[in-house]
Amino acid sequence: MASKSSLLKVILLGDGGVGKSSLMNRYVTNKFDTHLFHTIGVEFLNKDLEVDGHMVTMQIWDTAGQERFRSLRTPFYRGSDCCLLTFSVDDSQSFHNLGNWKKEFIYYADVKEPESFPFVVLGNKVDVTERQVSSEEAKQWCLENGNYSYYETSAKDSTNVASAFEEAVRRVLAMEERGEHLIPTDTVNLHRKPRSGASCC
Amino acid sequence: MTVGYYCHWVLFEHEGVFVHSSTDAVEDQDLLISGYLRVLDKDGETVVEYKPLEDTVDPSNMLCACKDSSSVVEWTQCPSDRSHHVVDQQQQSCETEWDMVNTVSFKRKPYANGEGTSYHTHEKNCWAFSFTAADLRTVTVKTEGWTHLIFCLKDDTTLPTIHFHQGGCKEFMDCLQRCVHLTECPRDKTTFLVSCHNKTLSQSFENLLDDSNYGLVHKLKKDPYVATLGGFSKVTNYIFDAFRGPELEQREMPAEEEVAADILGEIIPGLEINQLEEPGFEVITRVDLGSRPEVQRGEPLSLADWLKYQDKEGRVRKVPELKERIFKGGLCHVVRREAWKFLLGYYTWNSTSEERKSLQRRKTDEYFRMKLQWKSVSEEQERRNSRLRDYKSLIEKDVNRTDRTNKFYEGLENPGLILLHDILMTYCMYDFDLGYVQGMSDLLSPILYVMENEVDAFWCFVNFMDEMHENFEEKMQGMRTQLIQLSTLLRLLDLAFWNYLEAQDSGYLYFCFRWLLIRFKRELHFQDVLRLWEVMWTGLPCQNFHLLVCCAILDSEKQKIMDRHYGFNEILKHINELSMKLDIEEILHKSEAICLQIKNCKDLPCSVSEILGLKAACDKSTLELSDYGILTPPLHTSGELVSNGHGQLSETSSNGYKVAFIS
Repeated sequence: MASKSSLLKVILLGDGGVGKSSLMNRYVTNKFDTHLFHTIGVEFLNKDLEVDGHMVTMQIWDTAGQERFRSLRTPFYRGSDCCLLTFSVDDSQSFHNLGNWKKEFIYYADVKEPESFPFVVLGNKVDVTERQVSSEEAKQWCLENGNYSYYETSAKDSTNVASAFEEAVRRVLAMEERGEHLIPTDTVNLHRKPRSGASCC
Repeated sequence: MTVGYYCHWVLFEHEGVFVHSSTDAVEDQDLLISGYLRVLDKDGETVVEYKPLEDTVDPSNMLCACKDSSSVVEWTQCPSDRSHHVVDQQQQSCETEWDMVNTVSFKRKPYANGEGTSYHTHEKNCWAFSFTAADLRTVTVKTEGWTHLIFCLKDDTTLPTIHFHQGGCKEFMDCLQRCVHLTECPRDKTTFLVSCHNKTLSQSFENLLDDSNYGLVHKLKKDPYVATLGGFSKVTNYIFDAFRGPELEQREMPAEEEVAADILGEIIPGLEINQLEEPGFEVITRVDLGSRPEVQRGEPLSLADWLKYQDKEGRVRKVPELKERIFKGGLCHVVRREAWKFLLGYYTWNSTSEERKSLQRRKTDEYFRMKLQWKSVSEEQERRNSRLRDYKSLIEKDVNRTDRTNKFYEGLENPGLILLHDILMTYCMYDFDLGYVQGMSDLLSPILYVMENEVDAFWCFVNFMDEMHENFEEKMQGMRTQLIQLSTLLRLLDLAFWNYLEAQDSGYLYFCFRWLLIRFKRELHFQDVLRLWEVMWTGLPCQNFHLLVCCAILDSEKQKIMDRHYGFNEILKHINELSMKLDIEEILHKSEAICLQIKNCKDLPCSVSEILGLKAACDKSTLELSDYGILTPPLHTSGELVSNGHGQLSETSSNGYKVAFIS
C-alpha cells in the first residue's frame, strides 16, 4: 500500500520570534518549551509520517529569522519541497513581512515555477488573546498571493500544528502527481549547487 | 523610638517590602533588603515599623537580582544603631543622580572577605526602623513600574525609601489614612502632608506648613529627573538627528550584489571560481606534527590567591604569572566579578583601586547618559525611527529567550531580564550602526550574571564586543575569517578528517557557525561557559585559542562522524546535538595539548603561525611583495603537497595573506 519512503524537505521561514522552532519541536517531539532559546544558525529535525498512504520522511529546517543572518540561511533554501511561511497573529509586522519571506525564498531556492510552488501559511500563537492580525486578513493575503492554505496554529497548545505540516506534505504530493519527483532519501544535496549565472559576480 | 509590637494591635502588615542600599564601600554595590512593613496601634498611638526578614536573599548561593527604584534617594549611609537616619546628600553615589534611568539593580549577599557568608541578623536589623505617626511630616508616593514611599519625619530625617516590589502600597496608604490625616501637597501631587487627628499635634502641622518651602527644595534636590532631563536634552536632540541617517533597510528582492554576501557561496564556490585569478599563494605541505604532549590543568584561583597579586594601592602585580594561573585553572566564582573586569580590559592591571573607583564613576555617568537617550524616546519619535524600533522589538523578543532556565533570568518579571534588556538597548546607543544582532544577548548574559551590576556589566560587555564585533557586522567578516582560519588549522592537524569533510561538502565547516558566533555559549552548561571564557580571555597560550577549542571538539567527534559515514546533513545535526554534552575540562585539556603540539612543530606553515600569533614562526624578511601588493612567502620545496580532496585549488586568506592549497 505505502510506496517507498521519500524525503521531503520543508523549510520554516518568518520573522524572529514568531515561533518557528517551537512549531518544529511541537510537531516532531510534541513538546513545548517556554524556555527555548532563539535559534542561532540553522537546525533541522526529521519526522516520519504517513499521508494518504505515502510514507514520507519530513526534514524540517529551522533558521534564524534576523535579516543579518540572511546570507547564512539562504543556502539552505535549495532543494526545498515546501515552504512554510510563518507569522505570529499577535505581531502585525511579522504578517506584513510574509511577502518578503516569500520573495527571499523564491529567489534563493531557485524555484522554477513560483506560481505553482507549494507554500503553506501559518498564523501562529492563536492561544494569545490580543491579536493584531485577523483570520480574514490572513486568508485574504493567502488568496491574493497564490491561493495558499492557511492554518492558525498554536505551538503552545498544539492547535493545528500537525494539520499544517500534513498539509505541506499533501501539497508536495499533489505536485508530484503532476509530474514532479520527490528526491530519494539517500541523495539529498542541499547546497553547493551550481550558482545561477545571474548570481555570479 | 523602636517599639515592640508583641501586645499591640497590628493594623496593617505586608511582606515583600524592600529597602535599597549601598553598604559595600569597596564595590558600591546595591543591597536590597526585603522585609515587612507594619502599622501598629500601641496604646492609642499609631506606629509604623519596618523590619528586614531573616532571609530575604535567594537561599542559593547565587546572587539574586531585584528591582531598584527609578527616582529615589538611595540609602547610602552606613547603618548605625539608630533606628532611622538622615540621608546625607553628599554621600549619595553618582548612581543616585541617574536613578530615573536606573530601573534595576541587585541585591546580594555581601561577602566577608569575599567569601560567601550568611547575612547576619544583627546586620539586617540595622535597617529596621519605626516611628510614631505623630512624628511623620510627609510621605511621598511615587510609581514607576512599582510604587515606593519616602517618609520624612518632622526632625528632617528622611527614612530609607520603601519599595513595594510586591504590591501593598495602596493598602498601606489606606491604613495610614485611617490613622492620620493626609493632605496632598499643593506643589507636588506625589507628596502628602501628614497631620494627626490628635489635637496636640496641630502645632506640628503648622510647623510643617511653614517648612513647606524647604520641603520642596529638598525634594527637588532629591529628584534628579528634572535636572537630568534638562541637562541632557541637548544630547538627545543631537543623537536623534544622527538617527535619521540610513533609511529602513531594503527588504526588497535581493539584488545581485547582495548575493555577494552569501557566505557559504562566497567562501566555498567563490573560492573555487576565483582562485586561479588570485596571485600570490602559499603552498602548504603536509607537516609532521609529532605526538601530542600531556598537559596538566590546575585548580581555580581562590580569592586569597587573587588578593596576593595586589599591592597596597590595588595594582595587580605579576600579571603574566597570574594570567597563566587563570589559564590553567580558571577562577573561583567569588573572584570573577573583580577579575573579569581586568581580563576584559575594563580595568587596567596597573591601575590603583582609587583610579578604578574614579573610572567607575566616569563610566557610570557615561552609561546613564546613553541609557537616558533611548529611555527618553517618545512613542512618536519611535514611530519615525524604524531602526530603533526594530532593535527594540528584537531585543524584547530575545531577552525572553535567553537563559530562561538560569535562576538569574527565570520566571516572569525577573529583574535580570530587565537589566539584560536595558544593557542591550544602551549598547544600541553606544554603537547604533551595529545595534542589536541575535547572539549578543548570549554574550551579555554570563557577564551580567557575574557582574550583578548594570554599569559594570555594560562596560565589560562593550570590551567583549570589541573582540566579537566582526562576527555581527553586516558582512559577517569575522565569521568568514574564523571559518577559513579554522579550516586551515584543521587541515594541518588532521588532513584525513578534513578531506572527509570536504568530500561531504562540509569543508567550510558551516556546522561550527554557532560555536564561533557566540563562543560556545550554547554548547556548554552555563557554569562551564564562565570557565571557558575566563580561560580564553587570558589570551593564553596563543592567539585565537578558541579555534583550537573547535579543533579539540572535532578531534573527539571525528571518529564517529567518519565511521558512521555522516553526510552534510548528519554532520550538521550531530554537531548541533553536541550542545550541553561537552566536558569543559576535557576540551581545555585537549585544546592546550594541541597548542603545544603545534608550537613544537618546526616546519609550521606561515598561515598557521599567523593565525595563532606564534612569534618568529614566519620570517617576514623572506616575504616579497607581489605585484598585487600581497605578501608572497617563498614556496616550500620539500614535502608532500596537501590535497583538498577534490583535486583542485582552493584558497583561503588570513591577515592579508593568500594561502592556497594545491593537490
